[in-house]
Amino acid sequence: MKFQTTDPASNPSAIFYKRCTLDLASGEMTFADLPCRNLEDVLGGFGRSFQDLAKRKVKNAYSDQNPLIVNTGLLTGSSAMTALRTYFSGYSPIKGSKAGLPAAMWSTGSGKFGAKFKWTGLDELLFENRSEQPVYVVIKETEAGPEVELKPAGHLLGLSTHAKIMTLQKEYNNAHFAVIGRAGENWQNNYMGAVALSTENQLKSQEDKFRFAGRGGMGSLMGYKNILALVAQSSDKVGNVSEAVKKVNLNVIKGGGSARIQPLSRGGGGGTWAAYDVLQTFHAVPVNNFRPQGNDIPEKLFRENVEREYDIKSESCYRCGITCHNNISAKNADGSKGEFLAKFDYEPLNLLSTNIGIHDAGQAARLIQLGDNYGMDAISLGVTIAYALSYNQRHPQTPILNGATFGDYEKIHELVIQAGEGQLPEIGKGSMRLSASLGETSYAYHVKGLEIAAYQPETNPGYAWAIAGGHMSMGTYGLLTREGKSDLDSWVRGITEDKLHIVGFDMIGLCKFFDITKGIGTQMVVDCLQSEFNLQVSTEDLRAAVERAFLRGLALELRQGYTKAEFCLPAEVAESPNHNIRLPDISSADFFAKLAKRVWAIFDAKLEGLPDNQ
Amino acid sequence: MDINVKLVGLFQTGRFKQSHRDYPSTTNVQDVIDDLDLPQQHFGIVLINGVHADVDTLLSEGDHLVLMPVIDGG
Repeated sequence: MKFQTTDPASNPSAIFYKRCTLDLASGEMTFADLPCRNLEDVLGGFGRSFQDLAKRKVKNAYSDQNPLIVNTGLLTGSSAMTALRTYFSGYSPIKGSKAGLPAAMWSTGSGKFGAKFKWTGLDELLFENRSEQPVYVVIKETEAGPEVELKPAGHLLGLSTHAKIMTLQKEYNNAHFAVIGRAGENWQNNYMGAVALSTENQLKSQEDKFRFAGRGGMGSLMGYKNILALVAQSSDKVGNVSEAVKKVNLNVIKGGGSARIQPLSRGGGGGTWAAYDVLQTFHAVPVNNFRPQGNDIPEKLFRENVEREYDIKSESCYRCGITCHNNISAKNADGSKGEFLAKFDYEPLNLLSTNIGIHDAGQAARLIQLGDNYGMDAISLGVTIAYALSYNQRHPQTPILNGATFGDYEKIHELVIQAGEGQLPEIGKGSMRLSASLGETSYAYHVKGLEIAAYQPETNPGYAWAIAGGHMSMGTYGLLTREGKSDLDSWVRGITEDKLHIVGFDMIGLCKFFDITKGIGTQMVVDCLQSEFNLQVSTEDLRAAVERAFLRGLALELRQGYTKAEFCLPAEVAESPNHNIRLPDISSADFFAKLAKRVWAIFDAKLEGLPDNQ
Repeated sequence: MDINVKLVGLFQTGRFKQSHRDYPSTTNVQDVIDDLDLPQQHFGIVLINGVHADVDTLLSEGDHLVLMPVIDGG
């Protein structure tokens, strides 16, 4: 980026980002330094991409009108801790309104690809149309500036995500990779394709330890465009860390914001996996398609029970001191570490284990590993399988697919493979379409067409207003469980004021664990922007930019045909209350209706006041 | 007074899962946290008899107190 001002809020047009637009049909590419329209453009990520998506009328995700936008955040590649994010934006094949229109979507992940991409000198790569032949794209740093090159990718076709990365690593030194798996290659029958992002750990260990931009089928969109991989080749550009950023980074680690995510061995909370223990206290760990049974079955996957049989190693992303990864390996007969299996994060672990009736850690790890190597979003995959299993439980005489039931590992394993290979559109196209085709939608656990995360919807009516899925674009998932809030005022305030700010991280290039509860409108972020770019920006400016970006997302949903009635929870939540969940009941239709009325009154007014984003 | 204290997750390490403990009559939740030397940076959720409570809440004879670390993310 080029900075001709120190005041990005008042003078954004004096800041320029470098975009390459690549027409995949013709191979033509253009580079431009574009002036920022507002602070959201400066920050980047979806704050910029959604403004461009809003200019397009897209009726089908798999069409020439739908671009794929790959970009970074302002701090991606900086010396701020966690600054590794890459963003993939476009109209989603899986998330869509009942009117049949695709929703705008972004997905993001860490790994080192984003930093390498930024260090090539490019800020954004916009893909138009589609290539006739499978290609991969090399983005390269040169003395004359960033270069972009299309290459034939026949040799990558059919390889797993990990194998693609390993193959490309042999061809490109000093590079990192963003690839799709077979799920994305089979985009016609799989709408939940993810983008796998290589990590330093993966390239060194040769083990399948990647990160994912999983949500919303951005890997399937990449597959539709016939792009199998992106290669970002550049020299590392982290110089001396300033005293100000050192202080911020220390605060990220020691200040308490990330303490719960850090390893137990360092006095941390042990990563997101620890949510199992806490949620189980309330019997709110999803079991068998989001129907907790009030028993102790989830405890089988408590860490204390898993570590008896498996090796658990805490590892981290590049230059990140949070060390949130819990990597699970088999144990050899002599107790030493054996084969690497998978990374246990709360969401993929629960949704590919307890929520589908699997309570064996080894089986859970294998399913996670399988989904990762096919390049599928673990959340959409797990929840859609859970729906199918629930259907079969309700229809034992006329089951669907292979007749799999909760806990039937072999048959579930088969479903994952078939979905990943594009042979099972019933699973690959997600739970909204499967449930509609079967005429039983009440227990399909999606909101607005995108499967929910592993927090019971009874505890999180805020899901309805999440603009990019689940919990990571609306941080209300802990408002009842963690904060004990069950009154309307708290929920209205949470959804419309405080918790939407979680999406700020999806603009600026930082991981949410930087400071998940406070968002990016903090002195820590202000200090990083001052130190890294000499930008003077206030916390209020940052919060205002995040809110505008969120509101644009909401406006885009409405424009794509969502009715307000579609901003809702799965019907089973209110129709069949689960009294096993030991929390105040905010799952009634009456509570939700009152909440929706007040939330929309506020959002409608704010949407009317949203400035023209040109 | 007798307080039935249950610890969740990492708070159990080096302590206990559940224990009846004797405290003076003016004890509040923070006093128990201090007594058990629970790490403040992890402290998240207090339940007294199944209901969310604050750390300054006074305890009563026979209360069931659950102390949990904070959760976040996925």
